[in-house]
Amino acid sequence: MLSLLFASIFVCLTSVVAFASDVSPARLDEAHRVFLKEHCVECHNADKQKGKLRLDDLSFALDTVERADRWQKILNQINSGEMPPEEAKQPEGKAKTDFLEALSAVLVSARRSLGDSGGKVVVRRLNRREYKNTIRDLLGVEIDVHGLPADGAAGAFDTVGASLFMSSDQVEQYLALGRRALDDAFARHAAEGKQFKIRHELEKIAESQLSGSVKFLTRKVEPYNQWTSAVDAACRNAENKDKADALRTSDEVVKEPQRFYRHWSEFKGAPAPTAFGFKDAGEAESLKHQFDEETGNAEKYFQLPHVDTGSYLFVFIVRPQESIVVPKDWPPGQYTLRVRIAAVEGTPAERHFIEVGHPTQPGAFDIISTHQITGLIENPQIVEVPVTLTSTGSRTFAIREKRLNSREHEVALAVLYQKKHKTWYPPAMWIDWMEFEGPQVDGHHTAGSGRLFSAKSEAVSDSNHARLVIEDFASRAFRDAAPDAAFIDGLVRLFERRRSRGETYESAIKETLSAVLAAPGFLYLREPNESGKERRLSDLEMATRLSYFLWSAPPDEDLLKAARTGALRSREELEFQLRRMIADSKANEFVSGFVNQWLGLERLDFFRFNARLFPEFDDSAKMAARQEVYETFGHLLRGNGSLTRMLKSDQVVINGLLANLYGIGGVTGDVFRPVFVPPDSPRGGLLGMSAIMAMGSNGERTSPVERGAWVLRKLLHEPPPPAPPNIPQLSRLAEKNLSPRERVLAHQEEPQCRQCHRKIDPIGFGLENFNTIGQWRTTELYAKADGARKDWPIVASGALHHGPAFNDFFELRDIVASRSASFARGFSEALFEYATGRAVSFVDESLINSIVEEAAQKDFAVPAFIQALVCSQAFQHK
Amino acid sequence: MKFSTARRQFLRSATACIALPFLDSLGFRRFASAAPATPRPKRLVFLGFGWGVTRETWFPSLQQIGADYELPPGLAPLARHKGDFTVVQGCSNKFSNEAHWGSTFWLTGANRYAEPGRSFCNSISADQVAALHLGRETRFTSLQLGTPDAGNQGHGPGLSLAWDERGKPLAGYDNPVLAFHKLFGADDVPLAQSQMLLSEKRSVFDALTQDFARVKRGLSRDDTDKLEEYAQSIRDLEVRLSKDESWLGVPKAKPSFAEPKQGLGGREEIQAMYQLMVAAMQTDTTRVLTYRQPVDSLLKSIDVPYTGHDLSHYERTQWDRMQFSEKKDVAQSALLAGFIDKLKAAKEADGSSVFDHSVLVFGSNISSVHFLNNCPTIVAGGGAGLKLGQHLALPKDTPLCNVWLTLLRGMGIDVERHGDSTGVVKELMG
Repeated sequence: MLSLLFASIFVCLTSVVAFASDVSPARLDEAHRVFLKEHCVECHNADKQKGKLRLDDLSFALDTVERADRWQKILNQINSGEMPPEEAKQPEGKAKTDFLEALSAVLVSARRSLGDSGGKVVVRRLNRREYKNTIRDLLGVEIDVHGLPADGAAGAFDTVGASLFMSSDQVEQYLALGRRALDDAFARHAAEGKQFKIRHELEKIAESQLSGSVKFLTRKVEPYNQWTSAVDAACRNAENKDKADALRTSDEVVKEPQRFYRHWSEFKGAPAPTAFGFKDAGEAESLKHQFDEETGNAEKYFQLPHVDTGSYLFVFIVRPQESIVVPKDWPPGQYTLRVRIAAVEGTPAERHFIEVGHPTQPGAFDIISTHQITGLIENPQIVEVPVTLTSTGSRTFAIREKRLNSREHEVALAVLYQKKHKTWYPPAMWIDWMEFEGPQVDGHHTAGSGRLFSAKSEAVSDSNHARLVIEDFASRAFRDAAPDAAFIDGLVRLFERRRSRGETYESAIKETLSAVLAAPGFLYLREPNESGKERRLSDLEMATRLSYFLWSAPPDEDLLKAARTGALRSREELEFQLRRMIADSKANEFVSGFVNQWLGLERLDFFRFNARLFPEFDDSAKMAARQEVYETFGHLLRGNGSLTRMLKSDQVVINGLLANLYGIGGVTGDVFRPVFVPPDSPRGGLLGMSAIMAMGSNGERTSPVERGAWVLRKLLHEPPPPAPPNIPQLSRLAEKNLSPRERVLAHQEEPQCRQCHRKIDPIGFGLENFNTIGQWRTTELYAKADGARKDWPIVASGALHHGPAFNDFFELRDIVASRSASFARGFSEALFEYATGRAVSFVDESLINSIVEEAAQKDFAVPAFIQALVCSQAFQHK
Repeated sequence: MKFSTARRQFLRSATACIALPFLDSLGFRRFASAAPATPRPKRLVFLGFGWGVTRETWFPSLQQIGADYELPPGLAPLARHKGDFTVVQGCSNKFSNEAHWGSTFWLTGANRYAEPGRSFCNSISADQVAALHLGRETRFTSLQLGTPDAGNQGHGPGLSLAWDERGKPLAGYDNPVLAFHKLFGADDVPLAQSQMLLSEKRSVFDALTQDFARVKRGLSRDDTDKLEEYAQSIRDLEVRLSKDESWLGVPKAKPSFAEPKQGLGGREEIQAMYQLMVAAMQTDTTRVLTYRQPVDSLLKSIDVPYTGHDLSHYERTQWDRMQFSEKKDVAQSALLAGFIDKLKAAKEADGSSVFDHSVLVFGSNISSVHFLNNCPTIVAGGGAGLKLGQHLALPKDTPLCNVWLTLLRGMGIDVERHGDSTGVVKELMG
């Protein structure tokens, strides 16, 4: 009830804003009244209000939630085919399609304009990413925040304050997480100056493991040898000899000699395997099998070159991964994992990648990073990986050859190879040693900790010292805002109570400070404005907005200084700070946080990619594909590049792994770098990226509809309405042998589907040369349930709805690239929403226009958008 | 300061409201064994399985309505309980439009856009409506169980199936071991120390409220409204604390089985949770329970090589997905049948079974593939006097909340409406 009341208050506010702003709200063109008159009004009029609904006096302005809602229902009814009723005259296909198209478009803009807070930025709490980074900057520790609710799941950016909630359970989580962060910070401080290191010389470890296992198995196989000798002896007896000889030359035994002993009971006097401790002959045989294989492998291993100085990395057999277990008493912090490693000459180049991570289950790996190995055994390379050790996370750090993340897959790989080639799956990499060292001395950590670890002087009492520590910590946690004395008093009393019941100083202060990390002053970005009238942000508020925009983290000392001195008010200083912040590695948080949500990259995780069809698209490849989108944007951001190069470019930003996936030569190593591609390459621009194309699939087949809708939504700024729920499946097509294209075109048979699909589908077809994981193809294999298969040639030609025609992907890409102004507009709106934490509404039209115009004057340089936005009234005011 | 005092007084009275009937009933319960013919407590259980079912083989045929219907393959393992549950078809939550959210609005029927300016809002879930009435006398007002990473397994946003009076998500326990310790773990902290710890917790909340007063100073109305969520969270915590305080010194109930094994997944995880739920009901530790069940790990445990989402996109044309989807349905039904067995076997003091006094709901907001109409719904148990043993086909798009309303009223909870309900389902009333 209460929420209904609020709803109506808000509706009033929104409509006031709507009229005051003098911009017309979403409105359906009057021309469409004819359609209603012809098909609806006969039943839904003043006299005959069928279903208590009147449509004869309906407003065409969608300026309130109620009106928009009513129109949504009309759309749904016509969409589902329920209205007009079957017995009534049916609208002609084209008229219906046009009407629905217009109505859908108006509803999209109505949702946008009605779904905001009337142009106000609402106080916002730190989202999950910001909370993690803020703790990191405050205490110098990384904590695992997966237990906190994932913000932004409801469709808005995770920076939109109105959609970030708080609950009692969450406050308890903040208290617990804060305590954990303080524990880590103190543990780290206590270990300051100490350095730890573990080094594995792998030749020794491998030698002792393999010869140990040979010894063990040799002992274990002894009863088997005794049993088979006894069987053999019995077979030499005359009564068994002929039969035994016949068996020895039978196909079965010739193929697998051990099988001879399965027949032991056929020979008189042969002892049973149970007499030698085996359950049955099968168990005995499999032990022998294991013995043969493992001792065989070991023998073969010791014949390999360079096993006196290192060891090989295998798949499934011998040593399938190398790991280091970090002792429990090493403090959390940043460490370095180093490995001296080489590729084995003669093995395929695509196998020369390692994954660093935490093993989870047999065959499964939580990947931290992936590295290409190019050094050879004569001249191995040293791979150095920065890793984070947390107090709660896994302490096992391992490396393995890059592969699909499942035991089934590696078994298949190793066993199938063995069967086919009659030898083991050869190792592709060799390792000299592996080491783990740290923690790294981090200047920030000690400089930023304030009085947290300051020593108590003799003259000061325990609680006075605590007061100083608490006060200092709270004002840093509150981003330079002074806490109330009453708050500090309360915490000091809490500290004293804990001390008086016998807690140590450290334990009492940690528990007390954890309350600071759950206080609203820490969790919320506060911008007071009692009068409700727009005002300019204070310098400190401006610094905070800026740093949470570009770093998703609190302002650093430099920025705070610029704020405190008032320097930030000058445009020159502001631009200087912007450049500095963008150049800082902390801006990677903006790149990934913003780009991931702007382009909807979370869809990449919606499906598991079919390992049988796309074994090369393992987790490492998927991570690299996603990273390519970030790196490309980051490259433009930091290099003052034009946003239009996201649509088409003569460069790609890739690393060795992606170069392999794309078949681009001459690129090796883990660092992403710009690489020129020839003019006839499909790469260069978002549409040529694996991540973008893979999102437009279901993990098995491509989805032209998903891809087309994505292009409309994200590149052309013509978002189609969300797919209506409950559309019947086109299952009548299941048994027909249609081309994938014909299958999709079935969407256009019904007028209510056609209105959107005639825009979506042609674009999707134009991208069909990219397979499920974004590799180039010219035919598509389509298999029916009955196993019938057919290769269909890809036809990528088409025409945009009411737009130009294209013959192939390249022409389609040119058409999309020619619409850079629309792309820039969509980008500006997304940037605005992410930066200010509120949805763009129709009151913001002029602001968005001016951002686009300002950026256009600088050739749409990415930083120009940010500059225009940050200098705008909307960003600098509350 | 003034603010704080007023708040404390308010809380005292709020605490009193809560504590009084409870203390009363505690006394009542102590003598309960001596008093014959006391009504057994009623319990309400919601089991949500996220992604939907295989439409073709889970729903009974619409040609067979009433008691005389054939169980389809997806429900076959429930055959031995056929007389004790009803399959309800035709219901949906009309506002739901998110095809990956099988639990977010399942029990609330809310319109996520109801509040302008927010891309998401929710309202109270049916279990919490029941908890307001049934939860006063038990140590745990309600119990929420779940599974790690539930949001990505067809359940959607939320921390459990439960949403409080203000539409905020309630957290639960994602692992059987943790839940076991919370429910039954021995409290070896001496009473005085527990009291001290609780009082320190209260001081922490006082301090947080202090800072809240500062942060709120000078905020605009919109901001104050938003920040009120924080103050409310603290008030909720204080109310919870009062309840904890009043149960200090009352030992926890003892279950008849040992702590579950660490690291259970899939089928075993669900079995362990079911066992805990039965024990929690039988010992009257709580009377309102919800469970967001695992899907991905269940599939793994029954050798299905797909994740829940992949599988939910089953089509006849796509290799083996449909068969595996059916296999999942059968496994879920078999687990449910086992749960009902346990509830029937769990006896009350008067010889009746826990099942006789419980209401059990098994279903999801997602119907099949990504459809949101005709939510799969099974109701069981004798706690609400429902008409069981039938296949009920309600008119298309009957509000699912009508079913929830029917259950709540049937349990004697006097609510006028729930979510978007338009009335009770007469066909379901016994």
